[in-house]
Amino acid sequence: MTDAKTLAYINLHAVLGSIPYLCELDERARDLIKNEKISLGFRVKGGPSGALCFADGKAWFTDECDSCNIILSFSSPEKFNGMIDGTVTPIPSKGLLKVGFLLKKFMPLTDILSSYLRAEKEALADPVFFEKSTVLMFHLIASAIAQIGNVDPVGCASASYIVDGNIKLAIGDDLALTLAAKDHVLTAIHSAPESFMSFMKFEDIKLARALFDGEVNAVAAVGEGKVRIGGMISQVDNVNRILDRVALYLA
Amino acid sequence: MRETYTYDKSREAFARAMKVIPSGIYGHLGPAEGCYTPVEAFPFYSSKAEGPYVWDLDGNRFIDYMCAYGPNVLGYNDPDVDAAAAEQRALGDCTTLPSTKMVDFAELLVDTVASADWAFFAKNGGDVTTLAVMTARAYTHRKKIVFFKGYYHGVAPWTQKIDYAGVIPEDVMHNIYVNWNDLDELEAVFKKYKGEIAAVISQPYMHGNFMDNVLPADGFWKEVRRLCTENGTVLVVDDVRAGFRLDIAGSDHYFGFEADLICFCKALANGYNVSALCGKNFLKNTVSGMSYTGSYWLSAVPFAAGIACINKMKRIGAPQILIEKGTKLKEGLIATANKHGFDLRVTGVPSLFYLRIADDPTLMLHQEWIAECVKRGVFFTNHHNHFINAALTDADIAETLDIADEAFAVVKKRH
Repeated sequence: MTDAKTLAYINLHAVLGSIPYLCELDERARDLIKNEKISLGFRVKGGPSGALCFADGKAWFTDECDSCNIILSFSSPEKFNGMIDGTVTPIPSKGLLKVGFLLKKFMPLTDILSSYLRAEKEALADPVFFEKSTVLMFHLIASAIAQIGNVDPVGCASASYIVDGNIKLAIGDDLALTLAAKDHVLTAIHSAPESFMSFMKFEDIKLARALFDGEVNAVAAVGEGKVRIGGMISQVDNVNRILDRVALYLA
Repeated sequence: MRETYTYDKSREAFARAMKVIPSGIYGHLGPAEGCYTPVEAFPFYSSKAEGPYVWDLDGNRFIDYMCAYGPNVLGYNDPDVDAAAAEQRALGDCTTLPSTKMVDFAELLVDTVASADWAFFAKNGGDVTTLAVMTARAYTHRKKIVFFKGYYHGVAPWTQKIDYAGVIPEDVMHNIYVNWNDLDELEAVFKKYKGEIAAVISQPYMHGNFMDNVLPADGFWKEVRRLCTENGTVLVVDDVRAGFRLDIAGSDHYFGFEADLICFCKALANGYNVSALCGKNFLKNTVSGMSYTGSYWLSAVPFAAGIACINKMKRIGAPQILIEKGTKLKEGLIATANKHGFDLRVTGVPSLFYLRIADDPTLMLHQEWIAECVKRGVFFTNHHNHFINAALTDADIAETLDIADEAFAVVKKRH
């Protein structure tokens, strides 16, 4: 009960969209982009478009891709999803001469990203890696919730019940992100909100990871005080329903 | 200032439960669905109950305004109801041949509920809302069901939403959702799906969660009734929550119309497990031909309890008493809130009042106040309507207002 179009939005905005946070968290990723000034656009027919931009040792994501140095065009969401799976090799429709960036920079970046998002059990034994991997997943999941709430037919039903206002998603006291709801459209904002209508706070990074990995259920954790919810709880309730679908798409 | 409660024994029991029961306490009595925020403010398990009170495992006493989410209508352990149940238990309960207590109970309901020509018994509210919808579909040979947004009709797949775990799109594909009190929208739906709508199902007024409860607009029910009649659609009133707290003859009677099918449960037997679907004669044959039953649905003890409960509610004029007590509490709570500068909204019929502090749209202020009340011995919940029971005394209401006052003072000091 998933659809290729929604998966394409998740793959672009949440998976590739997490590369900027990867570059903040991982030294190897930072090294790869430190001298780059380039933009890489993705255009999917019947699906999303957007771009990863690199300059001054930083990366960021933007919705605009027409003026990118390199553009990868895909004839369908399925083809784009194939690139993410590694079953489709993209050919630039613009910037063919810059293909070296794709091979020498972008591909290694995605390899590092995969090492965090599909982390080996042994790697997760390292607490530093564990934390980076979980923080990266947190960013990815927040973006994926927004995409599913805006595109997936069942996710849209959940979003239709979400009243306007910010939902604060937090791990412990130090890390928080925002899901902004306006007219039932969700936007992930990768910083803590100044004000919020509701909140869902995970006790610590270990619990967050267990929830992300599906080892713990948020409803059960509420009773134990490991997940705190408050404010306009109907927002959190519906975000939780979308969160269930994140696992469905990213499994 | 009162000493606030602690819940060590509840937490110990919950830790045991988490090992063997999904989510520890599931459903509406659980801390997540019950919106226990912050969770530390709430007890999890009871040790005993009596009249309007429940005691938790740690020995804390609460004036209970949830009434087990409705079943406690006369007071916990009502002596008349319990005596009738005990008498029947000595004779037999779940037996191969049903007891005639079932006939007695059906006769009593037909005599009591204005729109009832017959009664069919089950266990939970959801059993009879499901039967109502199946009956409407069987009678009309149509598929579509109209709901009013904010509804709650149980947990069967057809009552849930497309995004709920375990629900598939096919479960809800014939559901049509319209806004409460919006007759134009309802009329448009009847035009769009002419000849396709089996039933309109609705609670007697909108008592959804996270929102102020809304009574029917003037003329609303009369028009809904007209539209259903003109379109050959069955009108189902889900009186599971409100039943007998507005009107002993049914909430349709209270609002001046007649349902084709009306569902009862909560207040039907003061906590004994029985529900009932009552209906008009023209649907009796349809129900007669349906395959719908359950292992305990014909048990005699709950029937005996139900008879005693209905008779006592009639004798004491329960709905009026409950509304009067609710009104007294409502007025007292509003005045207490005003004293501290808070705008407390109390909506719905007073016997089923819903609370919201309107000063803060996030509801966090409201949640703080509710938590302070609970920790001092008044069991309110955050975002569900409450229930009044007949055992509640003026002294209980006075104590409630005293605790509410203290809770408002604590919250005020913080902000």
